[in-house]
Amino acid sequence: MSEETITLNVTRYRHEKDRAPFIQSYQVPYREDWVVLDALNHIKDELDGTLSYRWSCRMGVCGSCGMMVNGEPKLTCSAFLRDYRPGEIRVEPLENFPVIRDLVIDMSGFMDKLTSVQPWIIREKEKPVSEGEYLQTPDQLDAYQQYSQCINCLLCYSACPIFGLETDFIGPAAIALAYRYNLDSRDEGSHRRNDVITDVNGVWECTFVGECSVVCPKHVDPAAAIQKLKVETVSGMVRGFLMPWSRK
Amino acid sequence: MNHETIEHDVIIIGAGGAGLRAAIEASGKGASVGVVCKSLLGKAHTAMAEGGMAAALTTADPRDNWEMHFRDTIRGGKMLNNWRMVKIFTQEAPDRVNELEEWGALFDRTDDGRILQRNFGGHQYARLAHVGDRTGLEMLRTLQNHGIHQGIEVYMECTVVDLLMDGGKAAGAFAYWRDSGTFVQFRAKAVVLATGGLGKCYTITSNSWECTGDGQALAYRAGAELIDMEFVQFHPTGMVWPPSVRGLLVTEGVRGEGGVLRDKDGKRFMFDYIPEMFAGEYAETEEEAKRWRPGVPEGPDARRPPDLLTRDVVARAIRAEVRAGRGSPHGGAYLDIASQASEAQIKKKLPGMYHQFMQLASLDITKEYMEVGPTSHYVMGGVRVDPETCSTSVPGLFAAGEVAGGLHGANRLGGNSLTDLMVFGRRAGAGAAEYAGALSAMPGVNPDQVRDIERLALAPFEESGTENPYEVMQDLQKMMEHDSGIVRAKEELADGLGKLRTLKERSVKVRVEGNRQYNPGWHYALDLHNLIMVSEAITLSALHRDESRGGHTREDFPESSPELEKVNTVVRNRDGEMAWEHVTREPLPGDLQELLSHPHLEEPN
Ligand SMILES: Cc1cc2nc3c(=O)[nH]c(=O)nc-3n(C[C@H](O)[C@H](O)[C@H](O)COP(=O)(O)OP(=O)(O)OC[C@H]3O[C@@H](n4cnc5c(N)ncnc54)[C@H](O)[C@@H]3O)c2cc1C
Ligand code: SF4
Ligand code: FES
Repeated sequence: MSEETITLNVTRYRHEKDRAPFIQSYQVPYREDWVVLDALNHIKDELDGTLSYRWSCRMGVCGSCGMMVNGEPKLTCSAFLRDYRPGEIRVEPLENFPVIRDLVIDMSGFMDKLTSVQPWIIREKEKPVSEGEYLQTPDQLDAYQQYSQCINCLLCYSACPIFGLETDFIGPAAIALAYRYNLDSRDEGSHRRNDVITDVNGVWECTFVGECSVVCPKHVDPAAAIQKLKVETVSGMVRGFLMPWSRK
Repeated sequence: MNHETIEHDVIIIGAGGAGLRAAIEASGKGASVGVVCKSLLGKAHTAMAEGGMAAALTTADPRDNWEMHFRDTIRGGKMLNNWRMVKIFTQEAPDRVNELEEWGALFDRTDDGRILQRNFGGHQYARLAHVGDRTGLEMLRTLQNHGIHQGIEVYMECTVVDLLMDGGKAAGAFAYWRDSGTFVQFRAKAVVLATGGLGKCYTITSNSWECTGDGQALAYRAGAELIDMEFVQFHPTGMVWPPSVRGLLVTEGVRGEGGVLRDKDGKRFMFDYIPEMFAGEYAETEEEAKRWRPGVPEGPDARRPPDLLTRDVVARAIRAEVRAGRGSPHGGAYLDIASQASEAQIKKKLPGMYHQFMQLASLDITKEYMEVGPTSHYVMGGVRVDPETCSTSVPGLFAAGEVAGGLHGANRLGGNSLTDLMVFGRRAGAGAAEYAGALSAMPGVNPDQVRDIERLALAPFEESGTENPYEVMQDLQKMMEHDSGIVRAKEELADGLGKLRTLKERSVKVRVEGNRQYNPGWHYALDLHNLIMVSEAITLSALHRDESRGGHTREDFPESSPELEKVNTVVRNRDGEMAWEHVTREPLPGDLQELLSHPHLEEPN
C-alpha cells in the first residue's frame, strides 16, 4: 500500500535569515531509476519550492549539479538513490567553497583560474582561416584528448585538501586544462603557460594527494597532469632558455 | 525605482553558441559588450549538442560543396527556408568550422590529419565535423575561453524579464539576479537575443529548464515579428525508458554510425516510409542498406539506409509503428547499433551514449537494443531577421541562433544548428556593433515602462494569488503535447487556443511562497508568461496552416499544399492581440532553383 520512501537530509542556508546552515529532512518516494537530482526536483516541485540548487542537463555533461552526497563530491544527476538505499542520504553543498544559498556555491574565482592558463592555441604566427584547418592526426589527438574532457564541475576542487587550505591554488581542472593545450600538437605556447603553472599558486602547491582524479566524473585525471607538468617544467626550464619555441 | 544600472554598447542575452560568438564579434569590432545568461557561463544548452556541426568541408567526400549543402538544407526544410539565409549559411559554414578549430576546438580527425566528418540524416554526404558525441561542449568551451580572453563582461545567473524600449527602439534589458532577486537594468545601444529554444512548452523534451522561449516572447512583446512558429521539431530518438529520463536525447549520431530502427519483432520498418520526395535516393531493401558503410562514399548500388531520412519523417514513422501495435514494450521503437558495429567502434564513436544508457537505463548498447521515441527538441520558427545583419523589425534589436527563424524552414537538418550559431552569431554581433557605433547617445529609459515591468514581475507575491505556478506549467505542457504536438488537427488546435486563454488568466493569478531571494517558484511564475506566449504563437500558426509539411503534421490535411509552399506564417502583436498572416516568400532565383533538381520540385512555383 504505502509507497517506499527514502530520507534526504539536505543542508539549508539562507544568509538573510539563517545564522548558520542547518539540516532539513525530506521524505521522497524511492524509485529505482531516480538519481539524487530527481529527488531534489521532487522536493522543489512538490514539497518545498524554496530549495535552491543548480542543474541543467540531467545527463552528466553540463557539470552544474555537483554536491556532496554522503560526504563525497558527486554529480547528483549521476548518483542513484539505489546505491544509497536503505540508508538515508546526506546532501550538502560542495566542500571548500563559500555557500551562497542552500546547495548553491560561489565559484566566482574559478573562471579566472581557467583563463589564467591561457587556454587557447598560441602560435608564433597565426594562420588565416581561409587556409583551412591545422593538420592533426588521430594519434596526436589521442595524446591530449583525455585532458580535454573536463566539464568544469568542480568536484576535484571540492576533493582537494590543498585547495581547501589555500584557495589561491589554481587547482586540478585549470592545470589539466593547461596540460591539454601544452600537449596539443597545434600549439606553440607551453612556455607561456608554464610561467603561470610554475608560479607560487601552481603545480608545486600540490602534494600529490590524488583525490582529484578519484572523484572526476570524466576521467580527466588531473593528478596525472600535475605530476607530468612538474617533471616537464623542471626539464623544460632548462631547454626553454636555449630554444624559446621548442616545446616538448 | 533606483535599480542597479549597467551600461554597454551591446547587450547580448544568452551565452550559448550564438551569444558567445556574437559577443566575440561585437567586441572584436570595438564595442563594449555585456553577456547576460540565466545559468552559469559554460552551461548553456549548446553544451548538450552531441552530433556535430554541418559544413561542406569536402574532407570526407570531395563531391560535396556549398551548393549541395544548400540543396539538402532547403529540401530538408521542405522549401520554406529563407534562401538568402541558407546561401550565406552554407557558403560561410566551412570558415566558421575552421575558425573554431584555429581557436583550439578539437575535432576527430582523418588518418591524414584533416577534420573528420560523419553522416547525419538528410545530408547527402558525410558533413558533420564532430568530436565524439560532445561537439557542443567543445564548441562552448572554445568560445568561452576565447571570449573571456577578449575581455567580455559576463553577468551570470541573471534572467531578463523584458526589453527596455525607447519609443520604438531597443534600449536595453530589465533583469533580476536569480540569487538575490533584486532587479538590474542593462542599458545598451543595441541588444542581441540569443536565448535558444522553447522545449519546455512540452512534457516530453530533450531541452533543459532554461528553454522557456524567453527570447521569442521578449521580441514579441517589443513588437518584433515571429516567423514559422508552427514548425517544432520532434526528434525521433529520445529515451523512453526509464520514466525519469523520458525525452532525453539519443543522438542521431547513433544512426549516422550505422544504427538501425526495428519494430517489436526486429523488422526494419523504415523501408516502408520513404517519402516520394526522396524516392530513389535511399536504399530500398535491407540487402542494399547493408552494403552502405558509414564514412565510405556511397555508390549507386549502396544508397544510404532510410533510417537516415529527415527527422520529421523518422519521428512520424515511429509514431505510426507504435500506433499500429508494433512498438517496443514502453511505447517506442528499437534502435539497434549492437548488431551494426563492434563493441570497440561503439565505445570509440559514441562514448557518451554508451555511458548514458549504461548509467541511466542499465543497458549495454553494444549488446542490446535501445528503446526510443519522439521528443520535442528544436523550434525552427523564431524571431524574423534580416539575413545579412540579423536585425529584427525593431530598430536596435538583433537575434541569432535557435531564437531566430527562417534558416531551417519547416524542418531543421541535424548539425545545421551548431553551424547556424556560428554563422549568424557572428553576423548578429557585427550588425549590433555597427548599429551601436552609429548611435551618438545611449537610448533613454522610460520610467513608466520600468514601473510596469516591475509591478508585473512582483505580482506573484501578492496575497490575492491562488494558482500554483508549477501546476499551471504542467497543465500547459499537457495541453501542448495533446493539442499542438507531433500530429495536429483543426479541432484540437482551436481547442488548444481556448485552453491557452484560460491558462493565461490563471498565470496572472499565480502565488508564490517566500521572498525574492533565489526562489525557484517565482522563477517558474515568470517563465510561465513566456511559455504561454510562445505556445500561443505555435498553436495559432499551426491552426492556419492547412497542410502537412516538415515539423507540422495535420491529421486532417495529410498532404502538402503547393499554395502553402509559397508562404510563411508571421505573427505579431496587434493592439494586445496576437495576429497572424501568411506572407509570400521571395522565390528562389533560377540558378539556385536548378540545384534542387527533383521532378516534384520542378513544378512551376
Ligand atoms: C540534447 C541536444 C542535442 C543537440 N545536438 C545537436 C547537434 O549535434 N548538432 C546541432 O547542430 N544541434 C544540436 N542541437 C540543437 C542545438 O544544440 C541548439 O539548437 C543550440 O545549441 C542552441 O544554441 P543557442 O546559442 O541558440 O542557445 P542556447 O545554447 O540554448 O543558449 C541560450 C542562452 O540564453 C540564456 N537565456 C535564455 N533565456 C534568458 C533570459 N530570459 N535571460 C537571460 N539569459 C537567458 C541561457 O541561459 C543560455 O545561456 C541539440 C539540442 C539538444 C537539446
Ligand atoms: S577535472 Fe574532472 S572533476 Fe575537475 S572540474 Fe573537470 S570534470 Fe570536474
Ligand atoms: S545536471 Fe548537468 S551534469 Fe548534472
